[in-house]
Amino acid sequence: MPSLAPSRSRAPRRIVAGEHHRSRHHGRRNLRAYLFLAPFLVVFATFIVTPAVFGLYISVTNWSPFRKRIDFVGLANYIDLFTPGALASQNFWQSMGATGWFVLWSVPLLLIIPLLVSLLLNQKLRGMTVFRTIFFAPYVLGVAIIGLVWGYIFDTQSGILNHLLHSIGVAQDIPWTVNTPWVWVSLVGVTIWWTMGLNTVIFLAGLKGINTDLYEAAAIDGAGRFQAFCHVTLPGLRPVMLFITTTTVLASANMFGQSYLLTRGGPGTATRTAIMYISDQGLSQNNMAGATAMSYILFLILAVISIINFQVQKDRTEGRGA
Amino acid sequence: MRTTWARGLGLATAVALIAGMTACSGSADKSSQGAVGGGDYTGPKVEVTFWNGWTGGNHPKLVAELVDKFNAEHDNITVKDVPQEWADIASKAPMAIQSGNGPDVAVLHGDDIATYAAQNLLLDASEINKTLGYQAGDFPPGVYDKGMYDSTQYAIPWSVTPLGMYVNKDVVAKAGIKDMPTDKASYVAALDALKAADIQGEWVDSFIFTGTFEFESLVWQHGGDLYNKDVTKATFNSDAGVQALTWMKDMIDKGYSPANVAQDGNLTALASGKAAFNWNGIWQTTNASMADVPWTAVAVPQIGSQKAVWSSSTHWVFPANKNQDKNKTDAAAVFVKWMNDNSTGWLKSGELPAANKIRTAPSVAKDHPQLEAFINELEYAHYETVSPGINEANALITTAISEALTGKKSPKQALDDAASQADQILEKNKAKYGA
Repeated sequence: MPSLAPSRSRAPRRIVAGEHHRSRHHGRRNLRAYLFLAPFLVVFATFIVTPAVFGLYISVTNWSPFRKRIDFVGLANYIDLFTPGALASQNFWQSMGATGWFVLWSVPLLLIIPLLVSLLLNQKLRGMTVFRTIFFAPYVLGVAIIGLVWGYIFDTQSGILNHLLHSIGVAQDIPWTVNTPWVWVSLVGVTIWWTMGLNTVIFLAGLKGINTDLYEAAAIDGAGRFQAFCHVTLPGLRPVMLFITTTTVLASANMFGQSYLLTRGGPGTATRTAIMYISDQGLSQNNMAGATAMSYILFLILAVISIINFQVQKDRTEGRGA
Repeated sequence: MRTTWARGLGLATAVALIAGMTACSGSADKSSQGAVGGGDYTGPKVEVTFWNGWTGGNHPKLVAELVDKFNAEHDNITVKDVPQEWADIASKAPMAIQSGNGPDVAVLHGDDIATYAAQNLLLDASEINKTLGYQAGDFPPGVYDKGMYDSTQYAIPWSVTPLGMYVNKDVVAKAGIKDMPTDKASYVAALDALKAADIQGEWVDSFIFTGTFEFESLVWQHGGDLYNKDVTKATFNSDAGVQALTWMKDMIDKGYSPANVAQDGNLTALASGKAAFNWNGIWQTTNASMADVPWTAVAVPQIGSQKAVWSSSTHWVFPANKNQDKNKTDAAAVFVKWMNDNSTGWLKSGELPAANKIRTAPSVAKDHPQLEAFINELEYAHYETVSPGINEANALITTAISEALTGKKSPKQALDDAASQADQILEKNKAKYGA
């Protein structure tokens, strides 16, 4: 990962050179490359591109599996979502708000905690592999198991967590899955416990990629551990950080299972996320057209966030290297 | 050619069925399995695909047993049992039926039938009902009509699953309660006695399972209903609704129930001896975690002005697949009749067979004493609303209960807000399902 930037700037030059010297081979080489890419492209086209395009089409019609005739309705499904007071817009933006709130709390914690854990795991100590495995383990569990296990732990009156809290003097029965603000604490907490392993492993790979000479040089220059962290580790992790921030924002914005299983979207509809509302509308309420329109709005918002993220975290040394 | 031939055969089958039925109707005692109602199919050998949502507990085993027995007794019909999650059926069936790949027979919940029927996904079952000799009086009051949408009968009842009140006998004994509460006065007295013994008697939750079912029971008990007659307007925010939700909120405020009960927390409390009562579905009678609990079940107490209790129901339907083979539907009808006639074993599933003659047999009361209270409740049970897309509106009832019980809104405010959204959904459903 750390070599991403240099290789990117070198790549165009190589192609130019190839074209210049061996233009005859160029076509054949491209063909071979496409052949290798073909299996993935087929899967990508079948399961990603086609449904996405079909979804776009559905979103401008009154599509329903039951209708004999499908009518083009223009942007009506989208306008619905921007009509204040309309049922769809009210519910959609309320669940978008819930999603945003969840992203706001989960993403920073899913960056900071795995970073700190990966620094610890990067130490050359005995038994580190065991710890690495332990931190990664929850990630392999399915969300159904997470929901079931934490449901027992979080139960207001007979859950293990409140039982433990009572023994250290907390008198209250904390409604972890029933009432605000605790529902948010549990949802964010469970998500961190569940998915931090992945981010940790990626950070760890990034740490391994940092040239140790740089730490020696920093030490010779009189840098302490904190300064080395700020001036060597963090810049070295920049490409990894960009990747992790992007995927974590997307993953958190797509949160579904945790609130579906643990809080049922409650209290009221406070923890009903956008994906929860969209899937209910599309799959259970036969409102596929409206649901696809919502999906596209969610997609646009996430695309904009990702672009901003890319811009903010862009490797500023890239220009100098080329 | 083929269709005329098939149609002729179908007619012949129908005639044979009717003939068989009249032959049997005089002497009900002769009705041993297989021959009941002349349930015969004489056409060519067919395979009947049967979709159902029984994936949990001992259901899959019981269904497979019944299907195997049916197949063994019928040379020219093979029923293929295809269990899958209820939710999967809901999302798969419409497309499958439209493309001709749907089941020949399926079991649906009462509140789903209208949604399917409105989309022309089900065959009109009036003829089948006539042929098999089914009438409303063969089932508990109100159940048969739940298979009717827009004046057409689309379904045949299969099972009913009412709510009841589970009692932990040890816990009530601790509070010195001798007689089980039956009405408001005796219920409050029992709750007070429990409170005096430092026990929170009934834990009220705010989830569909089972807070919503409790609320709906209470609405009917107070003389209200969830929707108006033609289901164009929500009425669960009527005085009866407000009284029902206020009662539930008061349970918490008066200390009869803890606040913020998690999903299934009330059943856990009953099982672990922390609570005395739990309003829960008949399906808990077969819950393995209740096996060692000293429980009994009684009818839910009458809090309002009349007796009423929530119940769900499941029904047989005959999907209108593209190019549906009439023979398969005929064979499916024979299967349905046979299943209803042989549904005694279904009692073990924690559901009550809808067929009166099975459920009211003397042996049932003797072999399944724990079901007695539930069976008696069927006299005044209310079933789910029949209207396409009703579940989206129903979900708002749970939202309102959650908002009221967690103190976000007053019961009236929560119900009014939910009702105004539900009205919009009902309006939208009219357009969506082309009613």
